[in-house]
Amino acid sequence: MKYAFYPGCVMPTEQYAYELSIREVMPKLDIELVSLKGFSCCGEPLKSVNQMLTLSLAARNIAVSEKEGLDIFAPCPMCHLALSEAKRILDSDPNMKDRVNNYLKDEDLIYTGTSDIVHTLDLLHDIIGIEKIKELVKTPLKDITIASHYGCHTIRPKEIGRPDDSENPEKMDRILEAIGGKSKYYPEKLDCCGGLLNANLPESALTKTGQKLKGVQEQGFDCFVDICPWCHRQYDARQAKAGETVATKLEVPVFYLTQLIGMAFGISHDKLGLNLNQSPVEKIINGGK
Amino acid sequence: MSITDLTSMGESQTQIKKEINDRLKKLQDEISEFCYQCAKCTSGCEAHKLLELEPHKIVALLKRGLIDEMINSEVIWTCMSCFKCRERCPQKVAPVEILFALKNMAVASGKQIPGNYTAMLQSVLSIGLLQDIKSVTTKQNKSYSRSDLGLPDISKPNDPSKFQTMLSKLAVEKV
Repeated sequence: MKYAFYPGCVMPTEQYAYELSIREVMPKLDIELVSLKGFSCCGEPLKSVNQMLTLSLAARNIAVSEKEGLDIFAPCPMCHLALSEAKRILDSDPNMKDRVNNYLKDEDLIYTGTSDIVHTLDLLHDIIGIEKIKELVKTPLKDITIASHYGCHTIRPKEIGRPDDSENPEKMDRILEAIGGKSKYYPEKLDCCGGLLNANLPESALTKTGQKLKGVQEQGFDCFVDICPWCHRQYDARQAKAGETVATKLEVPVFYLTQLIGMAFGISHDKLGLNLNQSPVEKIINGGK
Repeated sequence: MSITDLTSMGESQTQIKKEINDRLKKLQDEISEFCYQCAKCTSGCEAHKLLELEPHKIVALLKRGLIDEMINSEVIWTCMSCFKCRERCPQKVAPVEILFALKNMAVASGKQIPGNYTAMLQSVLSIGLLQDIKSVTTKQNKSYSRSDLGLPDISKPNDPSKFQTMLSKLAVEKV
């Protein structure tokens, strides 16, 4: 299977561990990632400023992939939502499609609606499948209790076709079980990381992050796993600061799902960018568990 | 092409404002018919406890047409876009979409855009991405850039001037 690899903004400019681990893990699962030139921001983070801008930018990125005749793999749930929503709108509204295509023609691009858009979770769970993941496990994660975090945009709004269920998502949990982890429910599972508030209320964003991680820590989880560069930036890179907002010293190892899969596949830690995680991941990876 | 074109109250914004107004009008009609103020949206709102956002009140205010009052209020900028209100409304009203429309209207009406939105917009206009490549520092105090990690060149618009032309049309096109 071959996909245009649409990186978005946050992952390729600072969340390198997600990109590194995806580029290691996906080819082992027979997914070929094609890097294309010419992508831009998906527009979703600017929806509050101008929704037409979001729609046009999203359509533009789909058009870049369509030019190469490829389906799109968008590992960032925000990008995945922007692109999926644009597809939904443009495929059902010919006038809007004409209007957006009028914007795109200067760059010699045209949205036609031929490309599918998939997220990490779609690829791993639905397209590759649990059985195939299991086959490649060399060193299963033993006795690790994991809190899974899906991220708002991965599961809502359902109407736009999200990778997992809006109230009871479990595809990531199934994958974690397949690589030997123990995933357990926790009451804060669906809580938001607050990441989008960084634009104007960064302190409140950190409080949201801190509240969720505090709950996870108090319930004795060994680690926390996510699939969104925005969420991960909050929970991993900003964990210490988030702890200050809830008056707690937070020490929760935070991983990308693809990093944990890579570890179970026996891929070296550096190749998975595990040295880049800011949270205390060594509690898990150095055989502590 | 500058940020002002996309956001300010210039002549070119008339059309954008009309469109947002139409969107709000449509949302208003839907609400009048469907919202019965059960406040399920507010009970699950991620911004409610922390920042006192009450989506059911936003809906009620829109129903009464108090748009100016809302676009002048900072409360519309406390939404985290988690989409829980839209997901859970028993009547399929979507407060989050009302908030997006109100924020768009505030911007098109020349209100000050809060926080980093201006910088994010400026960055998209100049390099096509929200931010430029950053170097990251590990816990062992080692710094790495994209290329140090063996990652390929970043993907961004091939011709920035053509990309900006596309964006500028968004601000001025009369539809």
